[in-house]
Amino acid sequence: MLKMTHLSKVYRTEVVETYALRDFNIDVKEGEFVAVTGPSGSGKTTFLTIAGLLETFTGGEYHLDGVEVSNLNDNARSKIRNEKIGFIFQAFNLIPDLNVFDNVEVPLRYRGMKAAERKQRIMDALERVGLASRAKHYPAELSGGQQQRVAIARALAGSPRLLLADEPTGNLDTQMARGVMELLEEIHREGATIVMVTHDPELAARAQRNVHIIDGQVVDLAEDPRFHHAQHTAHTGTPA
Amino acid sequence: MMLQIKPILSALRRHKAGAVLIALQTALTLAIVCNALFIIQQRVAHLSAPSGIDEANLLVIENSWADKLSKEDADAQQRADLMVLRRLPGVQDAVASNSYPMRGGGWDQFITLTPDQTTAVGDAAVYLGDEHFMDTLGVKLIAGRNFRPDEIRPIANRENVMPPVTIVTKTLADKLFPDGSALGKPIYAMSNTPTTIIGIVDVLQTQSLADWQMRNAYQSLIWPMRLVGNAYYILRAKPGQLAMLRKEAVKALYAQNRMRVINDDGVMGYAEVRQKAYDSDYGMAVLMGVICVVLLAITAAGIVGLTSFWVGQRRKQIGVRRALGATRGDILGYFMTENLLISVGGAVVGVLLAIAMNLWMVTRFEMHRLSLFYVLAGVLLLLLLGQGAVLAPAIRASRVSPVEATRSV
Repeated sequence: MLKMTHLSKVYRTEVVETYALRDFNIDVKEGEFVAVTGPSGSGKTTFLTIAGLLETFTGGEYHLDGVEVSNLNDNARSKIRNEKIGFIFQAFNLIPDLNVFDNVEVPLRYRGMKAAERKQRIMDALERVGLASRAKHYPAELSGGQQQRVAIARALAGSPRLLLADEPTGNLDTQMARGVMELLEEIHREGATIVMVTHDPELAARAQRNVHIIDGQVVDLAEDPRFHHAQHTAHTGTPA
Repeated sequence: MMLQIKPILSALRRHKAGAVLIALQTALTLAIVCNALFIIQQRVAHLSAPSGIDEANLLVIENSWADKLSKEDADAQQRADLMVLRRLPGVQDAVASNSYPMRGGGWDQFITLTPDQTTAVGDAAVYLGDEHFMDTLGVKLIAGRNFRPDEIRPIANRENVMPPVTIVTKTLADKLFPDGSALGKPIYAMSNTPTTIIGIVDVLQTQSLADWQMRNAYQSLIWPMRLVGNAYYILRAKPGQLAMLRKEAVKALYAQNRMRVINDDGVMGYAEVRQKAYDSDYGMAVLMGVICVVLLAITAAGIVGLTSFWVGQRRKQIGVRRALGATRGDILGYFMTENLLISVGGAVVGVLLAIAMNLWMVTRFEMHRLSLFYVLAGVLLLLLLGQGAVLAPAIRASRVSPVEATRSV
């Protein structure tokens, strides 16, 4: 479903080159629920933005659903984002000027779907996240957990092949986070492929597989000394 | 690119203040621009009204005698002047008259068909001239005949004499006798003595260009008289000789008799006559044009400013839309459609305002009714202006990267 090979992402300024991802390799199979973890600045979000075709990469290969995406133009990338990918952001990213119904409708409109089909999909998605009764409410009238559920409904309404979640519970309290996590697990059980970036080990533990990123590279936790160094620092406050 | 009218309207409902302000600005601009364009068109039409004379080759000299002359002496001097002028090399013909087209004012007479008729059928400008008048001004005779020399008589200023024969313009002839039977018919000019129409000329514009006189603009008549005393000498130069004649004619007149006054501004070619006559029309057209440009510029600036502000404010939202599958074209279309909806709202109010403004001017300043064409032209202009103004910020919006969606504010 999602395969990156020797992928790199370099941010260049006039004086310095910064590798956000370096020789990055990952292979997510269809139907997998993968948690991507790593310390702040490790490249998790960069990986997610490249995986979601939100930005381009500098080198290597990226196949999404069997398609090599590096040479696609902007319109083709937009089409793939719209049809194959569902995004769940940490800050929910609902459009404040639109009510719940209209928010969920946004990606469907860009797909050029007929109004009747849009309505059906929107109501189905809202039913699924338990917010059908809030269709006419505006985001500001909902709790954080409800807003994230709307965002999930928006991601699900288009029946994407891949769900990308960036710290989906990062802005929620424990109870709301648990509810959102259970919803993601339920969606996964129904066959969805989910890649979730998180730095919460408890959340990561609930995924099918964990991928750890340090300094822009996927590492094997058991063998990587940097992990042990990071763990020791986290527990004792002093380097090992 | 897809139409997104419903969600745009929903979003606009939550940004009423800015949208309403731009719509009102559009409405006000439309109302003023429609009326201003209409006024400009009327002034331009006024400016380009044909005079019916050979303007390119005409020279007007305002002649005043230094001494008070008797009618006989003045007549003799004028005959001598005309003889000198007609003999000048480069002169095709010359005439003395009380006035000339576009002068700005002159004699006019109410015309009736019977002496006891109390309501005038027409109001006509009166030109005095001898048998050289038509040839000098280049007026085209289309029916009847010119004056004979024996029909010409000298008159003094304020002398109230009715000539037995007259030549009229086609416009006046048709006004007086709509069946086309004017030739040979008597008419009355505020007198019990009739004057018979012996000739009809094609076009001869009146002296006055005042708005209230516009409906009479081509109702002119020529009487077979020479106004002796202070008068205007009108010279028709042979092609290419006009510039030379300006000096030579004045020099020749002084040589004939020094006891006269010809001021520098009393010698004019028709370019100057026309410029002087239409100065206020030209000024009004320019003023209205400037007002239109300034208003349109202010409205465009308002649209650019508000849209730029909205683009900046919604940067994250644009990123989210891009992340959810919007193409650059969709984002461009969003802002263009948003502006179109605001502009259409403004245009609806603006059309009503334009009509109301025009009706007020019709009753207050006797203006003409605003033509629908100018309303439609104004609407189109404002819509295009809006789309043009919104283009740059909309393009900037379309360039917002989808990765913006992942950035924390």
